[in-house]
Amino acid sequence: METLLLTQVINVVYEVLILAIIVLGLAVVMGLLNVLNIAHGEFIMIGAYTAYVVQKSGLPYVLAVPAAAGVCGIIGLVVERFLIRPLRYEPFETLLATWGLGLLLRKLVELGFGRGYRSVEIPVVGSLNFFGEAYPTYRLVLMGVSASVLAGLFLWYRRAPTGARIRAMVGNPVLAEAVGIKTRELARNTFVTGTAMAGIAGVMIAPLTPVEPFMGLAFIVNSFFALVVGGMGTVAGLFAGAGIIGGLQSVLSATVNPTTAYLAMLFLSILFLWQRPRGLFPRP
Amino acid sequence: MLTSFKLTRRNFVRAASAGALAIGAPAILRPAMAADVLKIGVLVADSGPAALFGPAQRAAAELGAATVNAKGGILGRQVAIVFADAGASPAEVAKSAVKLMLSDKVEMIFGSHDSAVRQGVENVVKGKLPYVYTPVFEGDDCSPNVYFLGEVPEQELQKTLPKLLEFAKGKTFYLVGNDYVWARTTNEKAKKYIGEIGGKVVAEDYYPLGAPNKFENTVAKIKAEKPSVVLQTLVGGDNVNFNRTFADFNLSDDIVRLSCLLEENTLMGIGKDASKNLYSSLGYFADIDLPENKTFIGELAKKYGDKAPQQCTISKGLYDAFIFASAVAAKSKSLGAKEFAAAAEGISFETPSGPMTMTKRHTTKNIFLARCDGTKFTVIDTFSAVPTQQSCT
Repeated sequence: METLLLTQVINVVYEVLILAIIVLGLAVVMGLLNVLNIAHGEFIMIGAYTAYVVQKSGLPYVLAVPAAAGVCGIIGLVVERFLIRPLRYEPFETLLATWGLGLLLRKLVELGFGRGYRSVEIPVVGSLNFFGEAYPTYRLVLMGVSASVLAGLFLWYRRAPTGARIRAMVGNPVLAEAVGIKTRELARNTFVTGTAMAGIAGVMIAPLTPVEPFMGLAFIVNSFFALVVGGMGTVAGLFAGAGIIGGLQSVLSATVNPTTAYLAMLFLSILFLWQRPRGLFPRP
Repeated sequence: MLTSFKLTRRNFVRAASAGALAIGAPAILRPAMAADVLKIGVLVADSGPAALFGPAQRAAAELGAATVNAKGGILGRQVAIVFADAGASPAEVAKSAVKLMLSDKVEMIFGSHDSAVRQGVENVVKGKLPYVYTPVFEGDDCSPNVYFLGEVPEQELQKTLPKLLEFAKGKTFYLVGNDYVWARTTNEKAKKYIGEIGGKVVAEDYYPLGAPNKFENTVAKIKAEKPSVVLQTLVGGDNVNFNRTFADFNLSDDIVRLSCLLEENTLMGIGKDASKNLYSSLGYFADIDLPENKTFIGELAKKYGDKAPQQCTISKGLYDAFIFASAVAAKSKSLGAKEFAAAAEGISFETPSGPMTMTKRHTTKNIFLARCDGTKFTVIDTFSAVPTQQSCT
């Protein structure tokens, strides 16, 4: 039973890290720009389809990462220019607009690929011994990549001048513009970064789930709850949200049962929306 | 041009009455037309979690209608389909069913959707017209004037489980399913058959339906428990997710998996790297080698070409519904509830998966046990005319 416990502990860490990488793009766009991109799941879906196409054409799987970032980034660029910017980044207007965008993207992918499930083969097969317990290699790779991406982003946001400019723009857009920060470009780049990240998340999870036009819907729910609980616009909030939502689901579903775990997550999210809508670590 | 037409009173009256006649004429003709065409409401998954089956369901239903029409229709009338979406909530679909009855004036309803929706539709149809429910389901429903063509758990498991033990390394079972009536009932019934063959259930897990589930926890437990068989009642994306996770954790060599709802589309999602030692027990596979099936698939290919959607037991049932209804109506000479029910009892009809017989409003049919080879099914055993053991009167 000890090995079971160890596997379950790795499972919890895995679920938290995967959720964090899925939330990341949404957190960037929502936390920094106040735009709740309801189509976030669809960008993940498009990233997954990009991975599928890359694999089908016999190219190395790693190439799917820049490909998906490119595809989703370009779509993000177009969306920002013709949807988000004309709506002046207003939270409610963009929420509705991106909801419609999600519908459109799903239908477009359905036109191209049909509704059927596609499966992406696991790029790194086999399992590794991890403290005497075999765990699938690809999942370990994913955990490693997610952890490094998150850590890297954290450091970059703290240290790099762009991070400071974003913080300035978010804190006081008028003053930021007055001191020479090009807020329009900065906002655009932030949005595009968010969609590109969603694309990369799609590539990472594509080998684990059925790839189909509606797959994005499953991701948006948990991502949104993670943001609600964690709080928007801070790195601590991102980690706290992913940790609590992902961890709670994983632990309860291992110890009690999966239905209770899901119920508990919904309950906790409602509690937060009701009593503490800004989450645990909101942007000051 | 304008001067040639003077708006006099006489001209106005003439024009107005001509116009009125033109508008009114179809109303006079309509009842005559409607009596000719027999409208059938068909509930298909255009949206929702089963939307994947929508195009195949529509294709199967359309071919069913065309086949019946080519042979003179039902009760000597050509049939016409009125499709409605069954992918919404049960209350919404029930509203669509009311609309089908009151405004479209359908005389029968065929449906391929989940049980919650079926109960919603049953509550509004109230046995007023024949309602043919086609997909795999849990059984134990005796609502009046409802006819069940799908596989019930008794059919899927009774003969299949003993056969499956030939491939398994022991007799311990781990049950995993979605948390709803079909999976729970199927597993309750499965426990009885597992007991009969001297097997033992070591654990069971249920995952919420329609939630973004992850299966690492259950797979880790399975790895620790080491059962010989994993019996699955997961549907759609969860079925894919679970089986891919299962294979990733390297369990597919030693543990045999049997799924109670694994059809062609789901297997495509599971993929060839995760389908080793995975079995499926159903009343139809698109590849089965029967002349009726060759005709069925051939006709669809003729009609839709390369775009013909992948058929499976969920969609093909709607084709059967047309064959069934026309066979019953030929005998009952009426669609009245009493006459239809009396004629349905004991009736046999030919379908792409072989002959079926309606007994107590459920359908005795062939059951196939198939092994997954990559993303294809290989039928390894066929059980003929498996009874449903349902007892509706």
